[in-house]
Amino acid sequence: MSAVHVQLLNLSAGALLLSAVLVLWRRELVVIIRVFAVQGIALAALIAVLGAVQGSLELAVFAVGVLVLRAGVLPGLLRYALASGPQERRETRPLVNVAASLLAAAVLTLLALAVSQPITALAPSSATQAVPIGIAVVLIGFFVLVTRRRAVSQLVGFLLMDNGITAVGFLTTAGIGLVVEVGVALDVLLVVLVLQILTGRMREVFGGTDLDELRELSD
Amino acid sequence: MNVVATQLVAVGLGAAAVLGMVAVVAAVLLTRAARPAVVGVLTAAVGVAGTVAGVAAMTGQTWSVQLPGVLPLSGVLLSVDAFGGVFLAVSGAVAVAAAIYGIGYCRGGGGGGLASRGVQVATPLFVVSLLLVPAAGSVSTLLAAWELMAVTSLLLVVAEHRRRGEVASAGRWYVVMTHLGFVAILIGLLVLAAPAADDSWDAVRAAAGTLSPAVAGPVFVLCLIGFGSKAGIVPVHAWLPRAHPEAPSHVSALMSAAMVTMGIYGIVRVGIDLMGGGALWWWLLVLLLGAGSAIYGILQAVVSTDLKRLLAYSTTENMGIVLVGVGACGLFTSTGRPVLAALALTAALLHIIGHAAFKTLLFLAAGSVLHATGTRDLDELGGLRSAMPVTTAAFGLGALAASALPPGTAFVSEWVLLQALIHGLPAPGVATSIVVPMMVAAIALTAGLAVVTFVKAFGVGFLARARSTAAAQAHESPPSMLTAMALAGLGCVGVAVAPTAVLPTLGQIAGALVRSGAPVSGALSAELVGVTGVLSPVLLVVALAVGSVVVVAVPRMLVAGRARRAARLWDCGAGPLSERMQYTATSFAEPLGRVFDNVLQPVQDIDVTHHQESAYLVSSVAYRRRVPDRVERRLYQPVLAATAAWGRAGRGLATGSVHRYLGYGFYTVCALLIVLVVTR
Repeated sequence: MSAVHVQLLNLSAGALLLSAVLVLWRRELVVIIRVFAVQGIALAALIAVLGAVQGSLELAVFAVGVLVLRAGVLPGLLRYALASGPQERRETRPLVNVAASLLAAAVLTLLALAVSQPITALAPSSATQAVPIGIAVVLIGFFVLVTRRRAVSQLVGFLLMDNGITAVGFLTTAGIGLVVEVGVALDVLLVVLVLQILTGRMREVFGGTDLDELRELSD
Repeated sequence: MNVVATQLVAVGLGAAAVLGMVAVVAAVLLTRAARPAVVGVLTAAVGVAGTVAGVAAMTGQTWSVQLPGVLPLSGVLLSVDAFGGVFLAVSGAVAVAAAIYGIGYCRGGGGGGLASRGVQVATPLFVVSLLLVPAAGSVSTLLAAWELMAVTSLLLVVAEHRRRGEVASAGRWYVVMTHLGFVAILIGLLVLAAPAADDSWDAVRAAAGTLSPAVAGPVFVLCLIGFGSKAGIVPVHAWLPRAHPEAPSHVSALMSAAMVTMGIYGIVRVGIDLMGGGALWWWLLVLLLGAGSAIYGILQAVVSTDLKRLLAYSTTENMGIVLVGVGACGLFTSTGRPVLAALALTAALLHIIGHAAFKTLLFLAAGSVLHATGTRDLDELGGLRSAMPVTTAAFGLGALAASALPPGTAFVSEWVLLQALIHGLPAPGVATSIVVPMMVAAIALTAGLAVVTFVKAFGVGFLARARSTAAAQAHESPPSMLTAMALAGLGCVGVAVAPTAVLPTLGQIAGALVRSGAPVSGALSAELVGVTGVLSPVLLVVALAVGSVVVVAVPRMLVAGRARRAARLWDCGAGPLSERMQYTATSFAEPLGRVFDNVLQPVQDIDVTHHQESAYLVSSVAYRRRVPDRVERRLYQPVLAATAAWGRAGRGLATGSVHRYLGYGFYTVCALLIVLVVTR
């Protein structure tokens, strides 16, 4: 792996983590979706670099697929979900405020670094040294899912987790097979479609997508 | 032709499988009107094929086949030996009668949804699964067939859930208990098969000796619980008095006569065949459970006023008696008396055959009553003798067969069992010498109470005057149902008069399992080998017939010459006798309920309402009495209450906030990761 490749790999991995943290920082839902699209590009770049290093055409095809799905289709769908309800523009009153969220993201990144030590130690290379970033993105995505109130930002949290999982998958192994990868991508697309419809229905019925208002439905 | 004659087991089982599949396809494709007849005939043919295979296996033919592609990982291994053949033959024969009965029962007013596609598909599948369980040759095949049997029988139990609310509750009890039992069997058999080369019976049998007693004991107890729950053994019987009454009657017959015996099959297969006897305490436990079930079952039956519930409790009683035979077999094996062990097991096997015959007959006759009157409550029946002569005769025969009196069907098997127990004395060891005489007493008590039970069921249910308009307007059942009852009745008479046709064969089978010679010989009379005892059922029947004729005919001849005069029956001058003056099922059993008050603990309420004007004048008296299942109240209620409390406690965690639910996952993942980091 040449020095340029290592630089590019670290750059894209850094962009991946930075975009995840930005999702925590920004409140405007439109901006959050834009940041998520940027993260899709970073993920595609990461896979493309890995493909270039290994000279594998399959990985290059994956990179293009990831780019189309995660930087194009999914953000488009999210934007569409947002556009159908004009009254919700901002993530107001998250369960944990922004400053504390950023601190939590730092702690989670540290945890990811500590946890992935043995994975890195198994086969030290620049690719496996980027694994903690993937795990950190998973944890931050989960954190977004737990602390944000709007359905769209929760959806973004879920997709962040999936991005992180994909990144870890490509960094530890050379991809997990075309069929599995395509299947997972389709699943994610389906989940987003279903949740988008659900979001629309929730807005129709309750006039908003604050999930805590659903508490009344429990027995 | 010779090839067919020597391969009857394979031919029979193959034919059963093919016919079963044809029946399933027919049930799916045919119209509602044609479905019961075609499926019934095909299912009966499955039963015939199974019986042929079973009888061939009993006479010594063995057969085994490996089908690796049918189930993933382990494949299917079918292997039929003589012992499994007994159960094959019993299941097949019961299925013949039940399937023919189902033709008329499903078509008529007996059931709203009984001709539906689901029920008609499940019936042949259930029969096939009943044949597969004793034919299974490996642990995995047995478990798969067992599960198929549980699921298909559950579908049949809940067949009438749209008509009665209790069906759903019975189905829930059944599904929970049968699956808890399955878990117990699963754990037990997997631990048993763990040291073996593969999971076939031969390999497991060879490796069973390597288990330490500390492992073998729990394995046996788990299998005893699991198989015992299928056999309806107290205290894991609670599903049986619920599911048997609520199932359609031909299914009740299949379950009560064939399916519950699979529990006994499992206990004998694991405890005696595979584990080869084991420790003494296993069999003392089996004996006590068997005696407890026999007495408790018949006591509940004697006070029951629901005809099918009474029969269900009688099943628990009979399985208890069979279990006493099995326990005695194990006891004598582990104390080194193989001839007595074989004798006890022979009695158990004969009792299974006899019980299958009379319980099929009784459930079919009860179904016929339910079909005609729409009620199972004995207190509303009566007076059926003239309206339903065939059904009444069938139930009468069944009641005689069930009551362990000569020339009843159950008499010979209980006699052989008592011979084995009595000759087991003097017994070595204190526990044995206390338990064995107790068993003799328990069986004697059970036999006496069984007589009362069936006198009550027959006398109150069928004789005297009708107690309700439904019973007064009863009508006889269609010919297919009567044919089925006649077949089952023929079986009862056969086992009662000529048990010697099967006894030596059963003796050989039992002897082979406990490695001794055949304990019974003789063609016309049963002669016990190794102990002194001879019984000739045929001569007994002849003697009883002659005796009855003498008792009935001689007084008639004596009074024949006198003049006769017709007069009104004396009624104390209180006007004509009404049906309200007869014994009811409740009042008939009341003295026994008094005697066994401490055991049964009946609950009775008497509400006396006085006139407004005077407290000395009574305007009405309401009397209610019910006998709750005491084991259920003491054992099941606390468990259910604890489970419910645990569930309520868990509710505090679920507030309805989605964020909180997500948070549980998030914090758990983080905590797990931190633990990983810290402990590494």
